[in-house]
Amino acid sequence: MSEKKKKRAHEPGRNTLLAMMAFFFLAFFLLALKDGQWQSFALSVVVPAIIYVGTAGISHLFPSDRLLLSLTNFLCALGVLVLYRLSPARGMTQAFNYGIGVGCMMLCAMLVRYIRSWKWLTVLIMFGSIGLLALPLVFGRETNGAKNWFYIGGYSVQPSEIVKLALLISVSYLLSQRKVILSLMFAGACLLMLMLQKDLGTALLYFGVTFILLYTATGSVPLVIGGMAGGAAAAVVGYQMFAHVKKRVAIWLNPWADSEGAGYQIVQSLIAIVNGGAWGVGLGLGNAQVIPEYYNDFIFSVILHEFGLVFGLVVLCMYLFIIIRGVMIARRCRTVFHALLATGCASLIALQTFVIIGGNIKLIPLTGVTLPFISYGGTSMLCSLCVIGLLQGVASRNNAGVREDRELAMAGGDAR
Amino acid sequence: MKQLQKNIRRVAIALCALFALLVVWGVYSLTTYGSRWFASSANTFMRTRKKDVIAGDILDRNGIVLATTINGQRIYQNDLNARKATVHAVGDSGSNVNNSAESFFASYLYGFNSSFLERLSFALRGEQRRGDNVRLTIDCRLATYIASIFPSGKAGAVVVMNYKTGEVLAEQSFPTFDPQSISAAVKSDPQKPFYNRAIQGLYTPGSTFKMVTAASAIENYTNYNTIAFDCTGQLTLGSRVITDAGTNLTENKLTKHGVIDLKKAFQVSCNNSFAQLALQLGDARLRKTAEDFGFNDNFLFRDLVVENSSYPTVNRNDGEIAWTGAGQSALTASPLHLCMIASAIANDGVMMEPKLLISATAPNGTQRAKLTAKVYRKPITSDQAAILKDYMRAVVTGGTGTSAKISGTKVCGKTGSAEIDGQEFTNAWFVGFLDEAASPYALSIVVENGGGGGSVAAPIARKIFSWMLSNGYIQ
Repeated sequence: MSEKKKKRAHEPGRNTLLAMMAFFFLAFFLLALKDGQWQSFALSVVVPAIIYVGTAGISHLFPSDRLLLSLTNFLCALGVLVLYRLSPARGMTQAFNYGIGVGCMMLCAMLVRYIRSWKWLTVLIMFGSIGLLALPLVFGRETNGAKNWFYIGGYSVQPSEIVKLALLISVSYLLSQRKVILSLMFAGACLLMLMLQKDLGTALLYFGVTFILLYTATGSVPLVIGGMAGGAAAAVVGYQMFAHVKKRVAIWLNPWADSEGAGYQIVQSLIAIVNGGAWGVGLGLGNAQVIPEYYNDFIFSVILHEFGLVFGLVVLCMYLFIIIRGVMIARRCRTVFHALLATGCASLIALQTFVIIGGNIKLIPLTGVTLPFISYGGTSMLCSLCVIGLLQGVASRNNAGVREDRELAMAGGDAR
Repeated sequence: MKQLQKNIRRVAIALCALFALLVVWGVYSLTTYGSRWFASSANTFMRTRKKDVIAGDILDRNGIVLATTINGQRIYQNDLNARKATVHAVGDSGSNVNNSAESFFASYLYGFNSSFLERLSFALRGEQRRGDNVRLTIDCRLATYIASIFPSGKAGAVVVMNYKTGEVLAEQSFPTFDPQSISAAVKSDPQKPFYNRAIQGLYTPGSTFKMVTAASAIENYTNYNTIAFDCTGQLTLGSRVITDAGTNLTENKLTKHGVIDLKKAFQVSCNNSFAQLALQLGDARLRKTAEDFGFNDNFLFRDLVVENSSYPTVNRNDGEIAWTGAGQSALTASPLHLCMIASAIANDGVMMEPKLLISATAPNGTQRAKLTAKVYRKPITSDQAAILKDYMRAVVTGGTGTSAKISGTKVCGKTGSAEIDGQEFTNAWFVGFLDEAASPYALSIVVENGGGGGSVAAPIARKIFSWMLSNGYIQ
């Protein structure tokens, strides 16, 4: 065995990568045998290829966290698989989004890796995001009670997703510079805009992330209590102010009261889950299409239906590992800004996953946020992958820092 | 930086806790409510399933086939009367009846619990898969008899159960219908034949609730048997007036019982005395006893979906509390739950969980589910139960329920005539049991808009018990 081959065989995560590629090749190939469409055959090659690029390709370019990459890619590919199986057109679009997303992820990672001063960029980002959030209020249309979209040349864009990244970066930066008041003002402005758009699910995420960052940066207990009280007060105000929030809460309390009407979504979701059982009905054998918004809000129910509870728990564990990995990266950081940024990224993924899956299984009222990496939607996919990109950037800085230290130490040793 | 790392660790722990919450809730709700979600009529997944699997048979406790599948068609038994008598317990192929055996035991009937090997063996033999056969505790002969004597044209329900084991021998709702040919008239009938009143009908229990009020008095007062009530025929509390059956205020005709004790008040079902008793006990104590008997509980029985009974918690002024003691106010309970309350008194204070499933048997003979008696709760002690038993015996021997008397057999019971707004007559109730070790049966009967419990429901109880005794329902 040549030296090069030996080295590649010992590359960490290599077997995981191969297993993932094989899994998706087989899954799409099975679907292809079932429906005989050329798209299925194409995807059985394309999806593993994107996984390869997104995992091995990126880590060839610059030092990065392999485990984080593998998990992210698995979830994205799973989203494409489930979507394609339920609605081929959406699956194809999602595969495209996934490809673009991997590119964006690299971009974000580079950004964090190489930008030294964030001062002016942060100012730019802050003004930019306020402007972006104002757009749907001016041009948007209302869907599902919320007015959080606008359209550019046939494409629908959800600015609140893009602003998530802006929020992470600017709040982390401001807090690292000890500008607590300014950071709160910015987050408050964003929240207000979201409330005006009636996009309360995303508002909840913004609130949660800002709150966590604030705690991480200051560590003050009164702040935690005050923040929670403020959150509770905001929830009550939101409940009183918006009719659609009241409706959602009523559905959550007893969806069975109107199982053919308002409660239909959640009732069908629960029924789909229980029909799946422990091992699922099998890929391509379910009929989860009866759940409205199966491709978006309820995609986790679809996964539980077709793959079963055990697989669902595994997926949940993958999210958990991504989050734990993110936190580990944060703890290894050398600057406050990067530590906060990584904590924010991990918290965002965690909260978003919790809020939507909790809604699917009737733990909390349903809010229209997407399941990171898996739900259908370009903006959402791009944003989730960019968050991972930011994390990768931080991880890569950490690695670079460690290497510099080692070189310095070795240089010192030589000099003696 | 150290502090920062510590904070980050705390955040990480909080985030992990959120995920743990997801898993715990998910597993909890699936194991607790999963079978109910599955059996829901909104389960559209079942429709596809029904095309692939031959549904198993449904049998009664003696092995009479109540439902079977022939050439992909669901066939119910041949005898029209028997078919109509068991339809609410068994269900219909169109899922018009909610939570019947057809839907609630669908996981057995359509083989959802079958193992991979069983599925494989069907596949290898090239046969269509068969579901499990399900045997119910329902007694088809008894059900047919009950249907034949229930007042025709009236709506109502009858429940018969074994108070020692909780087995439900009959859960019948009237009017009924023929599952084999459902006519348009049945679908548009204002009396709603599809509705299973026995388990889903939420009725005002009326005087049958005095079982609970009396139990509360016995629990809370050691001198319960010496308390004297003065029934003057009329008790005015704010805007509400408590009167007794037979009273006509416009003609100034009052039913007065005079000064009586608790047993006598129970025997003659004196509203006035029970109103005074409820006021003495107070809302908290009465509610405590009612909740011990299962009111305000979320019934999650394994075999049956029973609508929750409620003891009112809002608008509790003296007038309402007094009426609650006599079983009116905003109290609601299903006929099955009232039968369980009588059963608890009959069974020395032990309330059994109602059971509908004797067994589920796979095509290859594997037994997948088996009847096991399970205690639901113990609302009263056996001494207290003995006192209540004595009261209920007195109702039948010399009170409002004498029409239920059978010579040579100890029939115990409580009548009820529940007033319902906008109804010409009261709902007639009889809830009772046989105090015979060899025939441990309890029943509850309600005839909507039927009249007095003693005159309408008690005779039905006598007929059912007599029929059971003369047809070998003796262990």
